[in-house]
Amino acid sequence: MLSVALTLALAMVALALALSLWRLMRGPSTPDRILALDTLYINTIALLVLFGIRQQSQIYFEAALLIALMGFIGTLALCKYLLRGDIIE
Amino acid sequence: MLLAILLTLVVGPPLVAWLARFGRLNAAWGAGAVTLAAAYALWPALQGAMAGETQLQRIAWLSAQGLDLHFRLDGLGLLFVLLILGIGLLVILYARYYLTSRDSMGRFYAYLLLFMGAMLGVVLSENLIQLLIFWELTSLASFLLISYWQGRSDARNGARMALAITGAGGLALLGGFLLLGEMAGSYELSVVLASGESIRAHPLYTPMLVLILLGVFTKSAQFPFHFWLPNAMAAPTPVSAYLHSATMVKAGVFLLARLFPALSGTPEWSWLVGGAGLVTLLVGAVVALFQHDLKGLLAYSTISHLGLITLLFGIGTPLAAVAGVFHIINHATFKASLFMAAGIIDHECGSRDMRYINGLWKYMPHTAILAIIASAAMAGVPLLNGFLSKEMFFAEAVGAATQLRLGWLLPAAVTLAGIFAVAYSLRFIHDVFWNGEPIGLDRTPHEPPRWMKVPVELLVILCLAVGIFPSYVVEPLLRVAASGVLQGPMPSFSLALWHGLSPAMWMSVIALVGGISLYIARAPLFEIYARLAERPGMYRRAHHLLERLYLWAGAVTRLSTPERLPHMALWVLLFAMTLALTGALQAGAELQGGRTLLPMDLLGVVTTLVLALAAIATVLLYRQRLVALTLLGAVGLVVSLIFVRFSAPDLALTQLSVEVVSIVLLLLALYFLPQQESRATSPWVVRDLLIALLAGIGMALLTFAVLSREGQSISGFFLEQALPGGGGANVVNVILVDFRGFDTLGEITVLALAALGIYGMLDGIKLQGPEADSDGRRWDPDLYPPVVATLSRLLLPLALLVSMFILMRGHQLPGGGFIAGLITAVALVMQYLANGVAWTQARLPRNHHWLITLGLSLATATGLGSLLFAHPFLTSTFQHLHWPLVGDFELASAMLFDLGVYLVVVGATLLILVNIGLMHRESHTPLTDAEEEV
Amino acid sequence: MNPLIEALLALLVLLGAAFTLVGSVGLVRLPDFLSRLHAPTKSTTLGVGSLLIASGVYFSQGDTLSLHELLVTLFLFITAPVSAHLLARAALHLGLPTRAAPPAVGEPRDGVRS
Repeated sequence: MLSVALTLALAMVALALALSLWRLMRGPSTPDRILALDTLYINTIALLVLFGIRQQSQIYFEAALLIALMGFIGTLALCKYLLRGDIIE
Repeated sequence: MLLAILLTLVVGPPLVAWLARFGRLNAAWGAGAVTLAAAYALWPALQGAMAGETQLQRIAWLSAQGLDLHFRLDGLGLLFVLLILGIGLLVILYARYYLTSRDSMGRFYAYLLLFMGAMLGVVLSENLIQLLIFWELTSLASFLLISYWQGRSDARNGARMALAITGAGGLALLGGFLLLGEMAGSYELSVVLASGESIRAHPLYTPMLVLILLGVFTKSAQFPFHFWLPNAMAAPTPVSAYLHSATMVKAGVFLLARLFPALSGTPEWSWLVGGAGLVTLLVGAVVALFQHDLKGLLAYSTISHLGLITLLFGIGTPLAAVAGVFHIINHATFKASLFMAAGIIDHECGSRDMRYINGLWKYMPHTAILAIIASAAMAGVPLLNGFLSKEMFFAEAVGAATQLRLGWLLPAAVTLAGIFAVAYSLRFIHDVFWNGEPIGLDRTPHEPPRWMKVPVELLVILCLAVGIFPSYVVEPLLRVAASGVLQGPMPSFSLALWHGLSPAMWMSVIALVGGISLYIARAPLFEIYARLAERPGMYRRAHHLLERLYLWAGAVTRLSTPERLPHMALWVLLFAMTLALTGALQAGAELQGGRTLLPMDLLGVVTTLVLALAAIATVLLYRQRLVALTLLGAVGLVVSLIFVRFSAPDLALTQLSVEVVSIVLLLLALYFLPQQESRATSPWVVRDLLIALLAGIGMALLTFAVLSREGQSISGFFLEQALPGGGGANVVNVILVDFRGFDTLGEITVLALAALGIYGMLDGIKLQGPEADSDGRRWDPDLYPPVVATLSRLLLPLALLVSMFILMRGHQLPGGGFIAGLITAVALVMQYLANGVAWTQARLPRNHHWLITLGLSLATATGLGSLLFAHPFLTSTFQHLHWPLVGDFELASAMLFDLGVYLVVVGATLLILVNIGLMHRESHTPLTDAEEEV
Repeated sequence: MNPLIEALLALLVLLGAAFTLVGSVGLVRLPDFLSRLHAPTKSTTLGVGSLLIASGVYFSQGDTLSLHELLVTLFLFITAPVSAHLLARAALHLGLPTRAAPPAVGEPRDGVRS
């Protein structure tokens, strides 16, 4: 039962990833793309979590943890750039 | 011997530079103390050498490769050590008064000690290759010293010219040494010196000799390579006194003396060495007379005297060699004192031009007396040291003449040089201290500080003592040194003032009388010379040659890397593709190897597709730079996903952190750059696209071919040895910190250097950033939105926790110092982004240098620690521990090393990012306290 | 594995994936940026939260307790609102077209809609 659910879930998350990528490429505005990138990061976390359950391995968690942190800092830097230009001031 | 060199070369320079922080003069005291300490360290060995022993000291390094540190001290070495340390000490004292408060004392003395150590290395080396390394170090140190006043273009040009000439000579010397070493069967001097006969009989003797002599002649400024020396006079005068009269230029003649038993005694030797020496002797003496610059006169006179010494070694009889050694001593004493006197005059008059400096006798009689005595020694006046060696020289010239056809030409030429030597010495005396009143000086000259004259006085007293009581003062040293040169029986000689009415005596008389007459009748000669001098000289020609060389080099470089990067990529790709294609056609192997392929899975397919799409989108949208950056972020993310999928978690973690660091870095740069790539399309876009596609497909095929084969690699060894050998289950980390720890140490050193280099480049740069974005919107006035600021602070401890976790467990599970360092750095950069520089720096150290220092020291100390337990550098040890609650774990010394890596990465990343951020002019204005409270 | 737990896990996994997908669908389908902002920041975050609970339960069987998930969740729930806030600010700053005009500066937040 769980394995069927996992396969289904993985497919859904993969689709979500593709949709986010579409928004990233499409735009039209820069905040749209940043939002899409941020979503892409979070989708990746979902993907890794699912994959970890399926492989019964916790080795993917550090990557997920780091993606959560790094995704945020990337978004922060990009938004700050839009707002202020100079990001370290 | 090693200790003395280490003291001056390695310990001294940083110590002195550091001492200078606590007051300029501390640097001088420190340099003096280091020199004395080096002398103390050498003292027992020096005593042994004085007793006629040859002492060797071998320190094993890579014995299996025949590479050891090998030192040698014999009579010749003893003489040079005395010159280097003795005159070095006097120069240190002198420079303390010479340098003004605008000059950095720390830098000067650091360079000086660096040079001193390198020079000691040259004269104390037993191994030829080791000697060459120190030889090149003296060239480098000399470059730094000549260009000490970096703001002056003549100093920079002179330094560059000196480095180019002596560096090229060093290259030739390397070739010569390699040939010599192969001929003798060993690079040890003892062997080389003992196998003179077989070397001279070897068919490659002549090319080897020419190569070695190229090194010697460039270093000792022999014609036609003499022109760098006068231009090196842009150096501060203490440097000229030390390097360009007493020590560095003597390295060339030192080598002649050193290799004398092995190489001399052939016609090639006599003609090449003697010929170059004779020409240099004459040219230097003639040109010296016509210099108006005090130091220029001394420089050409130095060239001439070096020619004299070279000629003596070229004559090749044992007695000539003794005379050569004697003149090395004498020239060093009187020329160093003359340079110092010239420096005093320059210092007090603000000019070195003899056309303006006149009649100084009235203003500085004390200095005048010293300069006059030293100058008379240079001219070869009796009762002074220069007379003795010069007369030996004349006698040798007469002796050599009997063996040649047209032999009388040699004594004649030598006497002519003697006449000019007397004339230019007289000019130094008369034109400076009498000959009317000073012209147009902006100050009234007076005596220098008392202690500035002490070094000159000591040297002048030495000139007199040697000249009057040679057999007591100098003969023992001369005998020991000469026996070091000859490595065999000594010829009989006596140092006395009066040898009867020999031909040499008459030549001295002719030189003195002729020189005085020449000086009196100098006016028409000066006119002729001025007309001749309008033609471009050697220096100018060499300068043009160098300039043209730079142009050619630039043209060649532009061929491969023109303004636009694509051209370079084009060449590289085409070359790689041709190479790969040829290889593939020749091998003719199947594309797919024998390994069974893994089935495709969803994650693999999705990630690959996303990667391909994001990459294509980046290419299509690259003109909008910010958009391209977000797309690149997606590419990086997917790449790290692929790393996770294919079992490289360490790599994935690194990639993720590097990704964010690069985004921040690019955004920092983008602030100052145009937002749009230019619209102009290259007409070659189709060609470029085709090549890019081909290269990509080729790379993919190649990867497929490699991955589908069972390859032989050393990974098996690492996998087996990681736990038993390195005490860690994470093989990647064990490789980084243990198996290849030396590599990592090198890498973090490079990282630290890069960070400091970037800091150095950015220091002081303040750019005016745009006031509004590319659409003309003014920036948002809210600097640090409170929501962001507050929550980022909340995130910091969490992020640090993660990074600590990853650091601690790195030895067993994915992680390690490098990744943890990046995470910490990114977490701290987050504070700069969200809370601003002022807020963050109020809570964190402003200066990240100490982090880097601490990290590097920790890593190095961990490596050195294993030496204490008699294991090689960087041997790791580990221990099983049981901690209550936490459980079993292994503690490896490599983890300390990893901590060092961590600190360096944190420091370097922050240093680079924050300082690029501070480049913006307004970022630098610190907030007031009130603002900071808000 | 206990079938009840397995059913719970399957449910959580499917729920999480569905929310994640809805977030991305919203990101693609919604008409303007400020509307689009809602979809991933709320729906996707919740979806991942559900997946993380599933993972936590899955790896906490027996006597071990898996705490990694807690940390990821904490990260996400702190950062998601900040990201949304920043993006909204950026959109306002750039004056992106919206169906509903944003409140003008100085006006009360429940200002008049045009």
